[in-house]
Amino acid sequence: MITFKLNGTEVEVEEGTTILEAAKEHGVEIPTLCYHPAFEPYQVCRVCLVEVIKDGQSKLVPSCGYKVEEGTEVLTHSELVLKRRRTIVELILAEAPNSERVLAIAKDLGIEKSRFESKREKECILCGLCVNACNDIIKVGAIGFAKRGTQREITTPYGEFSDVCSTCGACASLCPTGVIKVEEISDSEIKPILSEFDANLSQRPCIYVPFPQAVPNRPVIDRENCMYFKTGECRICEIVCQPEAIKYDQDEEITEEEVGAVIVATGYDLYPIERMKEYGGGEYTDVIDGLQFERLLSASGPTQGEVRRPSDGRIPKRVAFFACVGSRDPEHHCSYCSKICCMYMVKHALLYKERVPDGEPVIFSIDVRTSGKGYEEFYTRAKEEAGIIYIRGKPSRIIKEGDGYEVWAINTVTGKQIRVRCDMVVLSTAIIPTVGAPELAREMRIPVDEHGFLSEVHPKLRPVESLVRGFFLAGCSQAPKDIPDTVAQASAAASKVLEMFARGEILAEPHIVWVDEDKCATCKVCIDACPYEARELDEEKKAVVVSDALCQGCGCCVAACPTGATRQKNLDDEQLSRMVEAIFEQEKEHSGSD
Amino acid sequence: MAKLANIGDFEKLMETVKAGRESSARSVTVCCGTGCVASGAHDVIAKFQEELKTRKIDAEISSKATGCHGFCERGPLVVVFPDRIFYQRVSAEDVPEIVDETLVKDKVIERLLYSDPVSDEKITHEPDVQFYKRQQRIIFGSNGMIDPTDMDDYIGLDGYAALAKVLSDHSSDDVLDVIERSGLRGRGGAGFPTSRKWRITGAQEATPKYVICNADEGDPGAFQDRSLCEGNPHSILEGMAIGAYAIGASEAYIYVRAEYPLACKHLEIAINQAEDRGLLGDNILGTNFSLKIHIKKGAGAFVCGEESALIASIEGKPGEPIPRPPYPAEKGLWGRPTNINNVKTWASVPYIINRGADWFAGIGTEKSKGTMIFSLVGKVNNTGLVEVPMGMTLKELVEEIGGGIPGGKKLKAVQTGGPSGGCIPSELMTIPIDYEELAKVGSMMGSGGCVVMDEDTCMVDVARYFLSFTVAESCGKCTPCREGNGRLLDILVRICGGDGKEGDIELLKELAGAITDGSLCALGKTAPNPVLTTIEYFRDEYEAHIKDKCCPAKVCKSLITYSIVADNCTGCLACLKACPAGAVSGEKKQVHVIDQAKCTKCGACYEVCKFEAVSVE
Repeated sequence: MITFKLNGTEVEVEEGTTILEAAKEHGVEIPTLCYHPAFEPYQVCRVCLVEVIKDGQSKLVPSCGYKVEEGTEVLTHSELVLKRRRTIVELILAEAPNSERVLAIAKDLGIEKSRFESKREKECILCGLCVNACNDIIKVGAIGFAKRGTQREITTPYGEFSDVCSTCGACASLCPTGVIKVEEISDSEIKPILSEFDANLSQRPCIYVPFPQAVPNRPVIDRENCMYFKTGECRICEIVCQPEAIKYDQDEEITEEEVGAVIVATGYDLYPIERMKEYGGGEYTDVIDGLQFERLLSASGPTQGEVRRPSDGRIPKRVAFFACVGSRDPEHHCSYCSKICCMYMVKHALLYKERVPDGEPVIFSIDVRTSGKGYEEFYTRAKEEAGIIYIRGKPSRIIKEGDGYEVWAINTVTGKQIRVRCDMVVLSTAIIPTVGAPELAREMRIPVDEHGFLSEVHPKLRPVESLVRGFFLAGCSQAPKDIPDTVAQASAAASKVLEMFARGEILAEPHIVWVDEDKCATCKVCIDACPYEARELDEEKKAVVVSDALCQGCGCCVAACPTGATRQKNLDDEQLSRMVEAIFEQEKEHSGSD
Repeated sequence: MAKLANIGDFEKLMETVKAGRESSARSVTVCCGTGCVASGAHDVIAKFQEELKTRKIDAEISSKATGCHGFCERGPLVVVFPDRIFYQRVSAEDVPEIVDETLVKDKVIERLLYSDPVSDEKITHEPDVQFYKRQQRIIFGSNGMIDPTDMDDYIGLDGYAALAKVLSDHSSDDVLDVIERSGLRGRGGAGFPTSRKWRITGAQEATPKYVICNADEGDPGAFQDRSLCEGNPHSILEGMAIGAYAIGASEAYIYVRAEYPLACKHLEIAINQAEDRGLLGDNILGTNFSLKIHIKKGAGAFVCGEESALIASIEGKPGEPIPRPPYPAEKGLWGRPTNINNVKTWASVPYIINRGADWFAGIGTEKSKGTMIFSLVGKVNNTGLVEVPMGMTLKELVEEIGGGIPGGKKLKAVQTGGPSGGCIPSELMTIPIDYEELAKVGSMMGSGGCVVMDEDTCMVDVARYFLSFTVAESCGKCTPCREGNGRLLDILVRICGGDGKEGDIELLKELAGAITDGSLCALGKTAPNPVLTTIEYFRDEYEAHIKDKCCPAKVCKSLITYSIVADNCTGCLACLKACPAGAVSGEKKQVHVIDQAKCTKCGACYEVCKFEAVSVE
């Protein structure tokens, strides 16, 4: 341990600690610009200068790189330090008058404006963070310093596009003035990592908390994009994380749990906007889907709740909302009604009007379905009180016109062709099963319908049970539905599970199968044939046994068994032939009576 | 050339060489330093060889191209031995006469002798020339006597005897003790005690260790290091070998700028010769000590003279300084302990070993020992390289060796230490040449630049000039040096241009303070010295520029006007013809007029007017 005086107070720190680290440890803030905990201190901005008094002699040293020495006195805010720091910060501020970082440091030192005028074209303060990140952390070396003295600049070799730049963006993310642009370094297509939670309307880093209420609320690493997983370099998060919580070898774990019932609630996805070519889906930046608009309205969304166009951030003055995009269109897309769109469009239009009072929401719809408690009233209020314009008719095209859009449609009330100019379009695209849900259903042996929604046993009498015993359905996994319906169905599914558990036993179907152990040749053909995995070979008994709880009595095994050892209860050959006989007898009686 | 197997072999060789050279035979040496070569020295030596051959006396009278004698202003220089008859500004046409008269008939040719600018007396012998008289030429002394490409010339003057001595009976500690007692300090500028630097490097556990010779001489007007590399390369190699032995290094680099082709060539030849003789390379003189010396040519960046930037440059990185600590002694070349010394420091070492620490310590002042080589330039009669003992006053240096100021002008200031040195006013000329004394008045020893300025020098313009050099040579890595010095220069340009503002002097001082305290390396830290010292000693000149918009020395173009003094003008047309801008008009025998709108203030009219009819205000 080393003892020294920090601003007059004697303190102790570990040997090898820099003055900056020691000061931080003891609650003393020293401003820095070129310093980054992940890099070797570069010590060039000189903003962090402090006064060190050693053997009665005073000198100014950069605190980020200077290690504390025994018995010295360090003054972080002496008159001399502040005087020198002010001059240096003023010199930097002259070249970066708009940098928030520099402005904040200047403000703390009482500087409103630099006495010097800017001389450089770019607001670059040559702190070197970008170059050091590219060279030392990412180890690519796409950018570097060129020229010297007042001509010094940061550039690619020969000022041409770099062919080694991996467009990782480390340089731009560290730049305190925002002057570094990846698109000026590389001409490769830059694929920003889009935030899934913000429906691709914002960017996110490779290490991120997936969404604000994530449980557990911890960052995750996006392995597909993380530079360390891609190239083996970087590890900047590991260096920066003080509690040493970054573990690159952490893997997904598969845990097995034995459960008595499963409620399948796989949710939904939206019909891909890209399929709506006539509306410029995927091509026009300001043609978005309902979920994206939902994020624009959210206070925690990419625009903090302000409705702004994704293309240029402008507040749209007229927004068109299209209903039934991909829904109720058996010829081209989905035949079914997505059920929720009519109502959420009312909500979206109302909220838009609230955020942009002079804005004009226009809703295009074939008709409006308001089947729910209070829905019709809500719709009427929107139309009559909030002045939301409804146009009956399905638009045929969206054309980009200048910096806006023109919607082509037929007003089916008047029968006239109309063209409506707007700044932004929200498509209420169809609800479709979550990608991967049908595959999951196949794993669970739950049948799906033609659209990929999971099938219930009976649409009216048993709407929450799947055909597989113990598997229950909830929400949009089964069909599009809104929140009240989903909550109701989920509650019902839970009740079904409770009912099953409360009874303590399961009622089996009357014609489940059994195996005549004497006849069983242990050929295992039946095991392969059983779709419910209800059969297994009992080595001791030298015969296949059947789980009464799992068997659904479908009879596949009976048909497959070559020895006739497998038989269905209440449905064996003798019973069948008796039934046949009985039928014939009835037939005879009937014909005899004729 | 046979390799010397042991120290005995070397001693025998030295005896043989000395025996062959002890004869008092007549010989002629021609200075072939870069300065004299530029004035035609190569033709002179070639002519000598030819003339001696045709007369078939080349066996008795030898001719030799030597290194720089220092008196470059008077080159090409020819010295006839053994009497050391000194001829100056010799051309190839003079050679037959010198051969016939001096070499054959022993007659002195009056017209080639040097004439003292003060007494107008003709001086016959080299040591009597005022320029040399007051010098104490130790490390520079052999330059005029040896052919730098002939190793035996060096050995004949006790060359490599110090290395042999060290290898035969000195431990590394013995060497360190000698150097410590001698009081030798770094000749590169900062004056750090050489022995302490060696000890720190030697004490490091990490291996291998490196030794570097800093020959990246970049100060404008300074050429001491070049002259030594060109004129006596073996003395540098020997010094490095002794240092490497003391430190425990077996690999060394000489970082020399590529713009010094002759220095590079002579060093290369010297290294090859020394390796062939077994005085460098593996198992030097049969001992366990080995040293491989590499030459690394620098691309000419001034900042590469800074040791950490120099190391970066050797490593193939951009020549930019890195923050210290750690110092090169702990973590230098390739991260290993490295000792860097200047050319002059290394060249001093063999003399200290040969003649003893006490001898060296006997020269100079209490804290600054030995001699220092200055390149004496500027407004002084005798310019060139001078080696003087520490402690000599600046007045002696300028007036006695330099022969005073030409044209009877008054001395205004002397700037020492290269572009980042300070300007010392004439009132302070009595201070002795000493690291501490120079620092006290705001200047420094630096690598030995010494620029003399007369009363016609504008001190604001001088500060602007030196700063423009450091700004152009700054690597731009740290804020204070890049931005601060740039702004300093802007303000000085403004002041010189007549746009100085109230408060500029205070702003200059504030910026200079931040640069001095805040810069990363010595280049930045010392760059404001010329500004600070000129403000300190010549503040009135700054004020005249700023407040009165006038340049007292009549140098700053924006602040002066040339006009014709009608009473004196004879209408001779001389100024009219000389004016490159066509600003002078007038008829023969009529008073001329200068059109101020066209005048570029080049001063050509002023220079050509014989009647003092052009005035400058």
